[in-house]
Amino acid sequence: MQYQTDNNSYDALVIGAGIAGGEAALNLANLGYKVLLIDKDLTIGGKMIMLSKVFPTLDCSACITTPKVSEISRHPNIKILTSTQASNITQKSDGTFMAEITTKPRYVEIEDCTGCQLCEEACPVIVKDQYQYDLVGRKAAYIPFSIASPRAAAIDIENCTLCGACERACPTNCIDFTQTDKKITIKCNTVILATGFQLFDPTLIPRYGFGRFKNVITSMQMERQLAPTRPFNTVLRPSDGKLPDNIAYVLCTGSRDKTLGNPICSQVCCMYSTKQAQLLMGALPMADITLYYLHIRAFGKGFNEFYAQAQSMGVEFVKGKVAKITEKENGNLILRYEDINGNVVKETEHDMVVLSVGILPNVGIQELFSGINLELDEFNYVKQTDVLASPAATSINGVFVAGTASAPMDIPDSILSAGAASAEAANYIRKMSEINVSV
Amino acid sequence: MAADNKRTVLIMKEKRTVPQKVKDELKYFTQVKKKILKALKEKEMTVPELAKAIEMQEGDTLYYLMSLLKYGFVETGEIDDMDEYFYYKLKNNG
Repeated sequence: MQYQTDNNSYDALVIGAGIAGGEAALNLANLGYKVLLIDKDLTIGGKMIMLSKVFPTLDCSACITTPKVSEISRHPNIKILTSTQASNITQKSDGTFMAEITTKPRYVEIEDCTGCQLCEEACPVIVKDQYQYDLVGRKAAYIPFSIASPRAAAIDIENCTLCGACERACPTNCIDFTQTDKKITIKCNTVILATGFQLFDPTLIPRYGFGRFKNVITSMQMERQLAPTRPFNTVLRPSDGKLPDNIAYVLCTGSRDKTLGNPICSQVCCMYSTKQAQLLMGALPMADITLYYLHIRAFGKGFNEFYAQAQSMGVEFVKGKVAKITEKENGNLILRYEDINGNVVKETEHDMVVLSVGILPNVGIQELFSGINLELDEFNYVKQTDVLASPAATSINGVFVAGTASAPMDIPDSILSAGAASAEAANYIRKMSEINVSV
Repeated sequence: MAADNKRTVLIMKEKRTVPQKVKDELKYFTQVKKKILKALKEKEMTVPELAKAIEMQEGDTLYYLMSLLKYGFVETGEIDDMDEYFYYKLKNNG
């Protein structure tokens, strides 16, 4: 491990470089504050950069995210560290914070990498591509995806055969297997938590067959299939490469279910499923799309019109609770469900099922802090101590929360939340400066 | 820039042993790749046809075929008469 002392202190440490963290960092940087933006992933942009389109406008998600990511990357007041996590965050008596920042080795010098992909071409290994949700393979020397930022290669050392082909192919000699963990200690005036969310793991509902039946996929896998940088040449059944023509969505998978420990609504599943249904009608004009739902929650601006638009396009909405899914020999799936309006149990056949998985809080946020207690709410999201007057405030004075770290929410609400967090953080920094001046 | 243009992988090799599982998976992929490319050299095929030709499960065939498509070894052809399956063929790399 390499230890370094970073004498430069920062006005703000933003943990998580998804859309909320990026927006908060950018707001603070535009106010003239110096920001350290860190993310545990190889790239910034979070989950939004992986989406196909956004609802209800059907704007291209990458087209919105990429300019924002570019602005963040080029801002002189923002320092970005990827593959990086914070720990041992402590608060000093003057209200400022100290944090240990650990960067995992990428085995590539980011500044020297031109993103030429010659290392990727030379690498003989194929492993499942986590950025395509395991639908296709990637190399052990790889660029996460085409619009990744930084657009630099990384070596997956766990799956590397150490053949050295990448190093021989690299024209700028930027591959460096001597890299080790880098640890620095920083000082900052405020901390913004934008640690995002995790998706529900549908293997926890064995009766839906995810992981056993190849044609049962998650909504994020379908999102990738619909994106311009998709894993297949078009939307295909993972079991045999057939063009699906009868697709079902099971809404509330892992949401609003006390038995799974997540009794709350995930806020986005109804609308992202409706969005995907509309996109599928475009990609597969002959396909039948059916959404099995408990309640459609179209609460946002333009959402109800979006729902009505899907209905008018021919998407079928069935108010029904899916009990179980079974697989036929040809890979088709039988959905057994309670038809709530008809008050009967029915079975229907589909050739592909998409589980609209819910949002869960990320775990381990409290462990970032040492000697100070970050409170969580009853659903394990970061507790907002004054939701109405100070929505970004947490139980630690000077630590603010942005985006889905505080609750499930959609992209516009995440950006709004990031605005609140950056405004409150800026106010805290200003107050700290006034105190220091008067002292 | 990496340490003085030396092959730093040699330094890593002294510190780290490649797990047998990784070696086995590379060997398996190399064999599968050869089989797929050989089969597609004969004629264009759909995923079920290719799976039958290389004696592999259709889902696994799709995974490896799409990985080869991603890295430019294979390209997509026409769709079959039933509008169900695409044909895949070797990419003409000039």
